[in-house]
Amino acid sequence: MKIRNLITLLTAASLAALPLMPFARAQDEAPEGEAAPTEVDTEKDTYVAVVGADIYTGTGEVLRGATMLVRSGKIRRIGYDVFIPENARVVHAAGYRVYPGMVALSASTRITDGTLSADPWSAVEDAVHGRAVTDKVADELVEDWVEEWEGDFETAQAFDEAALRSSDSYDPFSSYLVLTLAAGITSVESSNLPIKLRRDKIEDVVMGDGGLVAFNWGGADARRTVRADFEKAAAYLREFRAWEAAGDKSVKEPSRRGVNSGALRVLKGEARPKFSADGANDLLGIARLAQTFGFRPVIDGCREGWIVADELGRAGVTAIVQPRERRAKDEMMVGPAGSSIENAAILHKAGVQVAVKAMNGNVDLSGIAGRDILALALDAGFAVRGGMSDAAALQSVTLVPARILGVDHRIGSLEIGKDADFLITDGDLLHYETHVQLAFVLGEVAYDKNAELYYAHIRPQPPIKITEGIPPAEETKAAEDGESDETKGAEKAGDDSEGKDPEPKPDEPAPKPDEPTPKPEEPEPKPDEPTPKPEEPEPKPDEPAPKPEEPPTHPS
Amino acid sequence: MKLFASALLAIATALPSAAAQDVFALRVGRAETIGQGTLDHAVILVENGVITVVGQDLPVERGIPIIDLPDAVVMPGLINCRTRIGVDGRGGGGADIAARASAELYPRQDVWEELLATGTTTLGIYPPGNGIPGLAAAVRPAGDTVAAMVLKDPAYLQLYLRSDRGSKKLFTDAFEKLDKYLEKVAKEREKFDKDNEKSKDKDKDKDKDKDKDKDKDKDSKKNAPEFKPSQPDDDVRPVLDLITGRLRAVIGIRKAGDWLHLLDVMGERKFEFDLQCDLRDDLDLFYIAEEVGKRGLRVIFDPTIIQHPGTRRERSMPAEFAKAGAKLALSPRSDSVEAHRDWLNQVGELVRYGLDRQIALRAVTLEPAHVLGLGDKLGSIEAGRTANLVFFDRDPFDPARRLLGVMLDGRFVSGELLP
Repeated sequence: MKIRNLITLLTAASLAALPLMPFARAQDEAPEGEAAPTEVDTEKDTYVAVVGADIYTGTGEVLRGATMLVRSGKIRRIGYDVFIPENARVVHAAGYRVYPGMVALSASTRITDGTLSADPWSAVEDAVHGRAVTDKVADELVEDWVEEWEGDFETAQAFDEAALRSSDSYDPFSSYLVLTLAAGITSVESSNLPIKLRRDKIEDVVMGDGGLVAFNWGGADARRTVRADFEKAAAYLREFRAWEAAGDKSVKEPSRRGVNSGALRVLKGEARPKFSADGANDLLGIARLAQTFGFRPVIDGCREGWIVADELGRAGVTAIVQPRERRAKDEMMVGPAGSSIENAAILHKAGVQVAVKAMNGNVDLSGIAGRDILALALDAGFAVRGGMSDAAALQSVTLVPARILGVDHRIGSLEIGKDADFLITDGDLLHYETHVQLAFVLGEVAYDKNAELYYAHIRPQPPIKITEGIPPAEETKAAEDGESDETKGAEKAGDDSEGKDPEPKPDEPAPKPDEPTPKPEEPEPKPDEPTPKPEEPEPKPDEPAPKPEEPPTHPS
Repeated sequence: MKLFASALLAIATALPSAAAQDVFALRVGRAETIGQGTLDHAVILVENGVITVVGQDLPVERGIPIIDLPDAVVMPGLINCRTRIGVDGRGGGGADIAARASAELYPRQDVWEELLATGTTTLGIYPPGNGIPGLAAAVRPAGDTVAAMVLKDPAYLQLYLRSDRGSKKLFTDAFEKLDKYLEKVAKEREKFDKDNEKSKDKDKDKDKDKDKDKDKDKDSKKNAPEFKPSQPDDDVRPVLDLITGRLRAVIGIRKAGDWLHLLDVMGERKFEFDLQCDLRDDLDLFYIAEEVGKRGLRVIFDPTIIQHPGTRRERSMPAEFAKAGAKLALSPRSDSVEAHRDWLNQVGELVRYGLDRQIALRAVTLEPAHVLGLGDKLGSIEAGRTANLVFFDRDPFDPARRLLGVMLDGRFVSGELLP
């Protein structure tokens, strides 16, 4: 069998690589049990252990029936045979799935119910208005700022200020926020700031300064200006570096006047530029600019990216797409144009990092349903429909947006050391039927489907058991489960490679006859779900059940 | 000013006694005493407008006039701790922390009599405006002069906290001013101590020349001058009183999130305060019930059943907060006489929705008295409290009840019992 061979090959390879990659091993495999007891660091540390769930780490791996240990809001261990401290709160999630919390780009400020602003200039203006100043003084102040603005210290300060303001209006009890969490989103980008949707506190909700510099790419004039800005900034940087290298203090430092500070930050590698563009030609222009000046742009829109995917891939583009977008081809065009459902898949295949954003950043409870931010998972599901792999689609709403916001060291995937922002779901996160049962932010329950009234009555399930420590009766059972799961996990090793291969394999874990009633029309393939979920809801009587003798077809 | 007010209060309570040695006994079918729960066949002895004895089936000394009401139910006069009734509309808004609501009072209005006729015997009038609008006054709806009306001024400091930068800044600014003042006083004290030492040294030098036996006497006399800190500004004094425990605060919030922002601005500072929130549908306040209850705070609500956000599911915030351990004060829904008339009906509805009956009774009497800082004088039928009483022909929460009479400072002032 092909898969068996592949697995043996993989195991051999990983064994060979083992001594070289101790960290990689520690990441995926169980940590050595003997080291654990000494790791109970302080009395103050709080532990949460999620046991028995299938953990989708968001890095491509799936660990069946594994355990994730969280210490004081950070992921401590993921794997099997994990030592669980006595004082841990244990979440018994066998039969459920664990996913990293989704990261929603371009979200409305309504979600946190406040006015967020990361625009440094408005911060500056506020500072002016805050003081009793005459026009003259104000002018001087503003001039000073224009001078000072080039420095990064001031930038940082202004962003700190903006962050402060956002937490001044943050409302963790906002019902929009609860709904957003219920949709599986644990972090949002609001006014270019990455915001964590905490429920328990208003502190530390702003995770960073966003790290994006927006450039206008609409129209020939704007494009010329951007190019000129980069040329000027590059020239300045060359002069400055030459001056620095010469070390001759008697020579005057090259003037920074007229140099676009945003372009300079980009060229220094301190920030990434962000463009909004959809047309193939516009996208090509950005790709050329990026290759000329050596930066990696973020392109919001990218509707015709599938036409120029290879060029975008070579230029190291990160694309923010809306897979459900529909735009007919302009009849005047000769070549390919317009939107394509395969956009995300094609871009991903060409090496473009693809992030998916919702059709609307708001929480919209009127109008046509499923077009607001609460349908983010559905949008990623459409990318799967267009041919993207499940793993890549998951990353398009978790890790890639986290990277765009410069906070992928904290969120976006389930890895040791990252924030414990995760979801416990009753099925594939990107499936329309799936509900988030529990959402954790920094290791604390931020959303509980049964506790909040919004979705509690829809396909109700018994609450996921959370105990203080492992009950003695279950301890042995949990250990047995762990063993059997481990063997199961080894069988499924093939899943991991799937993420890299979007092509559905015909002889792959295809649905087994014991799978409870595959839905006749599945909107997206779920190739990584070969085993039935132990707590899958019983087949509904009104659902047409497939004929038993008919071999289930693979959704492709 | 405080002295002045309390002196007037003394005169006000002394006035009825001046007319005659006022002693009488009340014999009622039932008394909702608040302090001791419900008493059947209660006897209440009132001397000079103050309750002196409360008991069940007590014998009354010969010669003491008895008011016999075997079918009546008596309870303490209703106290609305937070209202703008009888004063101008909600204008203003100049955030002057030292502004006093008592400055707006007009005695001899019809509205005071109408209020008495609803059984309301004490009011907390709060100043208009947002942010930190100023100081509220405890008032009785009777009296010919402002001084005769005012029971306590200031009764509490009114504050509002919203989840926004400006509102939080008002808070921190007020406390920063206090810090500056305290710093100034600390410096003054340092200087004073230094000067004292110097003068002591000088005295000692002088004393050495003189008789040494008298040294001790003189020293003790020299120590006599006491340190007198400079007076705080008007906008610092309320905050100073707050921190030193001489004044309470009522902090108005609009949603659960405001509570976290309040904790954020308060930081390490500690002072006594009550939370107030207007109840409305879709309010998310239940999220903080547990936390507020754990701290044993008092909350001021209006007797309203609200709907859970986004649903038609009814929730009773007063009951939930009371269950969580918070103290509860209930004010009428609006600043109208009608709302005061409906007040007990609405509270009665809360009781039918699961609020404990005794807690409901406290919420319109003793708890609002505590909000006004008059918890030891009003709000309960107990020895030593002012005889502000309301008489009904049946249970106070029965919508069919009839108000028989209202007693203010031991005198019937309204109702059919009025002599």
